[in-house]
Amino acid sequence: MKSPTIKPAQYFGVLVAVALAVLLPWFAPNQFYVHLATVGCINLMLVLGLAIIARAGQLSMGHGGFALVGGYVSALLSMKGWPPLLTLFIAGLVAAVIAAALGWIILRLRGVYFVLVAFAFSQIAVLLALDMSSITGGANGIVGVPPISIFGYVLRAKPQFYPFALGCALATLLLTWLLYRSPLGTMMAATAENQRLTESSGIDTHRVQVIAFTIGSGIAGFAGALSTHYLRFISPDSYTFWESVSYLTMLVVGGRDGVLGPVIGVLVLTPLPELLRSTEGLQHIIYGTVLVVCLMFVPNGLASLVQIWRARQRVIATSATLVAKEVP
Amino acid sequence: MSMNVILAQTVVNGLMVGMIYVLMAIGFTMVFGIMRIVNFAHGEFYMVGAFLFAILYGSNEMQFAVSVFLAVGATALLGLVMEWVVFRRFRGNELNGMIASVGVALIIQNSALLMWGSSARTVPPVVSGVLSVGGIVFPWSRLVVIIGAIIAVVSLNLLVGRTRIGRAMRAVAQDAEIAQVQGIRVDVIFPAAFALGVSLAAFAGVLMAPVLSVSPFIGLAPTLKAFVIVVIGGLGSVPGAVVGGLLIGLIESFAGTFVSASLSEILQFLVVIAVVLLRPQGLLGRKEREA
Repeated sequence: MKSPTIKPAQYFGVLVAVALAVLLPWFAPNQFYVHLATVGCINLMLVLGLAIIARAGQLSMGHGGFALVGGYVSALLSMKGWPPLLTLFIAGLVAAVIAAALGWIILRLRGVYFVLVAFAFSQIAVLLALDMSSITGGANGIVGVPPISIFGYVLRAKPQFYPFALGCALATLLLTWLLYRSPLGTMMAATAENQRLTESSGIDTHRVQVIAFTIGSGIAGFAGALSTHYLRFISPDSYTFWESVSYLTMLVVGGRDGVLGPVIGVLVLTPLPELLRSTEGLQHIIYGTVLVVCLMFVPNGLASLVQIWRARQRVIATSATLVAKEVP
Repeated sequence: MSMNVILAQTVVNGLMVGMIYVLMAIGFTMVFGIMRIVNFAHGEFYMVGAFLFAILYGSNEMQFAVSVFLAVGATALLGLVMEWVVFRRFRGNELNGMIASVGVALIIQNSALLMWGSSARTVPPVVSGVLSVGGIVFPWSRLVVIIGAIIAVVSLNLLVGRTRIGRAMRAVAQDAEIAQVQGIRVDVIFPAAFALGVSLAAFAGVLMAPVLSVSPFIGLAPTLKAFVIVVIGGLGSVPGAVVGGLLIGLIESFAGTFVSASLSEILQFLVVIAVVLLRPQGLLGRKEREA
């Protein structure tokens, strides 16, 4: 991510990856793969949201809470007859506003405290959803959330929904990438690197972190709403502590720097539970082990392996040219 | 029932739950203070302790004292293994250590699920009968929990405050490097402190097993409470954990009796926000020296 210019090979790689993703419904053996890919798109948005927060040096264990808020807001508004395409954005906005208010208070805290309080927030979101049963349907949740329709075209079935989810995920990816390259992105990275030094360079690091938290949680709200309209259902169980943990796992396993890490994390960990389904009870144990082993041996995520490999290639290439010059 | 009786019983319930939270929070805050690891798996050790006690005392009908000793000892051993395999690699690396502990929690909880099944077990009460003071009755089963927890807290206080190893632990918590220079074997103190923290969680599990039912999923709730309490009391502060734990226990008991259980959760969250706003280092926490 350090190189300011993009090589043609990288353009090509991105194009091929996007083309593969777009063409997936045609070569997928059955609908289940399309479903998995849609879930992957939604997960990618959530993990990117988390990555933006992490870029500014904080980890959020309450990410699921914002997805839950977004899901309920969009479900309730669209049940009242609002167009779902609009309520998706309102959901993101509501989550962002809550995050801004909460972040302004709790982002004075050092990393660990912040995690604990953000986490407590997500518990409260679940409790409120359970408790206000006259509005939210309590533990039963809300069934029959209207599907998204674009200019009268209703996204009811999986093959129709997938392109929309993919579009949203790619847009989020692009936005995240642009954000990382913007001055704000640099300020975020600097804050994560050394908060005091950044502060002394005249940057309001508290504000930078609040902005990052707001953007990331807003994306989570949008993604939660998207998922709700896809599954046409939401309940307090949709986004629990373990969902927040699984997004964090994807981010950590994939890598926290750059946009490649979240993509890799989602690609590896979204299908993993399905692959492990045959192992029954071992599923979660393996999941936990993957997380711990990754942290032990690849603490910067799988994406860091790509960077290490690239750096090594560069060294080999330069030494090869040196040798070529010396040996006539 | 008169108001007095309800009040007295609410207080006893609050103290009981509060003391369990205190035990959980002390272990949690000790591990953080000394190893700088936020242990999301803390409640899983509580669960393991409760389960082992349920099996030894409930199913195998071993003696009470033997069951307690074996359950806490075996859990401490599990803690030592986890420290040795996982946690020692993340010492001082707060964020990665925290995420790794989530992985450990997943592993322990689901292993328990595989081994012991998902159905809840009940443990026969250790004592029966009631204590009546001035017309107000208290069930002994709850008083035993409070007394047991008080004994644990007092003996921990003596251990940390009066013994050599306790002093070494305090030194390591203050500054591991300087402690090492003074000749303290840091690589012994870390596992010892971790095992001690875990034993407290296991003991809390043992105490609660006869009062509540035991299942592989009971670990998460006390972990969450431990988080809330240490934020209120101050991360790394043992007296803070005691005050915070009792406060949360009483809030829970009073709000649960007079209003509703979920209001008590929201109230606790508001207390946390208020503490964070007014006294970010916690009620009894010391301001941290920034590195």
